[in-house]
Amino acid sequence: MSKAYFNYAGKRLLQAIVVILLSYVFTFVVVSILPGDPITNVLNNPQNGFTPDEIKEIIAAQGLDKPIPVQLWNAFSGFVTGDLGLSMRTNRPVATLIAEVLPSTLVLASAGLAVALFLAAIIAYGTQFLPRRFGQGLLRGFPSLFLSVPNFVIGLVLIHLFGFQLGVFRVIEPDSFWATLFAAIALGIPISAQIAEVLIANLDHESGQDYAAVARGRGLGQMRLFVMHLLKPSSLPVITVVALTIGELLGGSLITETVFGRNGLGSLVQRSVSTQDLPVLQAVVSLAAVVFVVVNLIADLAYPLLDPRVKLLGTQQRRPTTADDSSLDISKAVTR
Amino acid sequence: MNDRSSHFPLSRRRLLTATSALAFAALVATAGVTPALGEDGARDGGDVVFLIDSLGDTWIPNNSAISSFQGHIWGHVTDKLLYVDADGKVSPWIAERWEQNDNATEFTLHLKSGVTFSDGSPLDASAVVANLDIWYAGRKSEGINPIGLFPKTYDHAEAIDATTVKVFFKKPTLGFIPTLGYHGSILISPKTIASPASAQADLSKTSGSGPYVVESWKEGDYVKLTKRKDYNWGPAAVGQTGPAHLDTITYKLVSEPSLRVAAVQSGQADVAYNASPQELESLKSEGLTVATPRYLGFVNGWAVNTKLAPYDDVKVRQALQAGINRQEIIDTVYTPDWKLATSFIQSNVPGATNQSALLAYNPEKAEKLLDEAGWKKGPGGIRVKDGKPLSLTLNSNPYLATSKSIDELISQQLGKIGWKVDIRAYDVVTFGQKVKYGGAGVPAYEVTRSFIDAGTVASILTNANNGENWFALDESDKTLNDLRDKIAGAGSIEARKPLLDELQKYVLDKGYFIPRTQIVQRIYVQSSKLKGEVYNGVAYASYYTATKSE
Repeated sequence: MSKAYFNYAGKRLLQAIVVILLSYVFTFVVVSILPGDPITNVLNNPQNGFTPDEIKEIIAAQGLDKPIPVQLWNAFSGFVTGDLGLSMRTNRPVATLIAEVLPSTLVLASAGLAVALFLAAIIAYGTQFLPRRFGQGLLRGFPSLFLSVPNFVIGLVLIHLFGFQLGVFRVIEPDSFWATLFAAIALGIPISAQIAEVLIANLDHESGQDYAAVARGRGLGQMRLFVMHLLKPSSLPVITVVALTIGELLGGSLITETVFGRNGLGSLVQRSVSTQDLPVLQAVVSLAAVVFVVVNLIADLAYPLLDPRVKLLGTQQRRPTTADDSSLDISKAVTR
Repeated sequence: MNDRSSHFPLSRRRLLTATSALAFAALVATAGVTPALGEDGARDGGDVVFLIDSLGDTWIPNNSAISSFQGHIWGHVTDKLLYVDADGKVSPWIAERWEQNDNATEFTLHLKSGVTFSDGSPLDASAVVANLDIWYAGRKSEGINPIGLFPKTYDHAEAIDATTVKVFFKKPTLGFIPTLGYHGSILISPKTIASPASAQADLSKTSGSGPYVVESWKEGDYVKLTKRKDYNWGPAAVGQTGPAHLDTITYKLVSEPSLRVAAVQSGQADVAYNASPQELESLKSEGLTVATPRYLGFVNGWAVNTKLAPYDDVKVRQALQAGINRQEIIDTVYTPDWKLATSFIQSNVPGATNQSALLAYNPEKAEKLLDEAGWKKGPGGIRVKDGKPLSLTLNSNPYLATSKSIDELISQQLGKIGWKVDIRAYDVVTFGQKVKYGGAGVPAYEVTRSFIDAGTVASILTNANNGENWFALDESDKTLNDLRDKIAGAGSIEARKPLLDELQKYVLDKGYFIPRTQIVQRIYVQSSKLKGEVYNGVAYASYYTATKSE
């Protein structure tokens, strides 16, 4: 690997760290200036009947009366040394709370992604090879349809049909295989749309290329043409889309988890947002930032290795999302 | 269409056939097993799944025992010194009997012997003292709160012998005994009390003496309870003292209300908590059991801010009292399960008296009062005085799902007699920050709240003993303050009763409190197989006495 590549990788890594730190500070400030926190909420609930003096004393004992910069510094120094602190709401370690819910979200997100990729591949294949009268054109409409139906609607329909009517799974056991599969379908459908769009656009482009015409002229079967010639160049930009989809998988899992009654990262975020449990929000947002940044970093770093045509432009480098050749060589390679 | 669906392997008919075949096989397989019968002939065994919309926040007993969600679990995992039933009647539980001195400053509790916590330690006098101390003081610097509604007049408690506790107060505290049967007063093992907040927050590390113990739990997901076989100290008032019948109770979080109800309808769960009132009639007709128990406390209504014009005028407040059609609220928003308010405290509270005459709907009287107060009808039907419209801003209570619908209905009712009503809806957090009793710009604070004992009411309404000063009267109303002092100083229930009646009359007549309806804050939709549950004074369902048929 060239020196230019390492130079580029170093810059991207630095950029990634800055993004993570900024997202930490930003979250802290935003949540701090919002009214309320779990402790004050409990104390202010008249049902609990605390006196003003008691409220003052408890808030001071929690350090919530200190200025925001001091609170930020305390939280931040803990974060940097790996101490995520205690949740204000539950009084349990933030790390434990996250560790409890993470596996469920990872399973759902990866199953959702698998469903999305599978659906996208089928749709894209169909648009290329299904005879027109069998609805090739119709298939091209699927991505827009998938995008326009909210995923909680898909979720509720799946639950009522397969959960209650057909009894395929029980809503009270949301982590069972079938319940997870249907949740993954609800999550994967909207995400498959974007992947399918990109894949279709690239397949359209590649199949119009000379080499595809030559291959067809040699009498190559459709399946072989698709798998051996068209799929690889068309799939490359899909990496970019998948990397960008990570955010959506995390966001979509919140809704899907709520609808399916799964206890995952999304549900934890929802509970923490509604009570403004700062330490948990802080940790989850930072975790999400790390995941998003790392996935995109990997895609950025892998891209030049997979496609030698991509030129390194330092931090200016952009991954193409469609196989438009002009985007591949944004001219001027960095060669020092 | 038919043709195609028959090739589809997951067709509804096939699945149904397969399921019923399986169910039949299961039936045959279990046919030989006769269910064990409990001592009293009730069927033993069975598992219950209770779907709930939230499992609150922390599990630190002091910080959470008052939560309307954790209360369900604490009710099975812990015991209380006394039992308070749905009519507010106090009866023995862990305390077999009790005495008090003449001016209600010293109480002696005699405990049942042989009671143990699930960690093996005895529930004796010293354990009770440890509980009383932490209820009163908490350990604030560690994040363990006091129990806010525990009497602030508490001085100290002493263990006289293993089964006798003496409790001392700085001032007469008639409400102490009923407090022991309520909410937060759950008995926790001294070992748990001694442990730090982070350990207490782990539900599986908390030991109570209740008929169930926590088998497993996951925050934000579920809590599974299993029965304690050696339990033998239930409250006699529920008609059972031995172990529970049901083997396990699982509280499972399902946040989507329609899914909770649908899961019970389809037999996947046994109880759905908090369904919408509008659905209840049709669920009943499907054969499901619907329970809408009331709790002891204030009715749902408004505490009026007497500092804010025009509500500083008694005639305007009285017009508000007469201008609301309470029957229409029940007919439109609720079902006949809800009851008309007859005072500003719920009618099942001991000491509540019937003040219906003061709460009758009388729009003519309201219009007359407003005319007298100088509010004349202007253009558009809105009344005006000194160029200002007669306005009322309502902040819908986010804790009560039906609150906004009621506000909308009342806005129509008041609109007819010339009121301009604005409705604001905030989320729980913003509501807690912005809307306060007597707060600037808050003419009417909506109350939904249970309390321990009617005696505490007076000091909540006024600013005595750190009271909440609901009507922003401070010390200005001498009559109310006299009543407050007499009620607080009363040494016996009999002496207090006429004073409470006078207080209710006075507060409603002055239009300080405007009742809407009696409150039902907990709605249970239950499978007909599950029977025999008991609702206590705070309307929590206890499945200690319940059984489930196959």
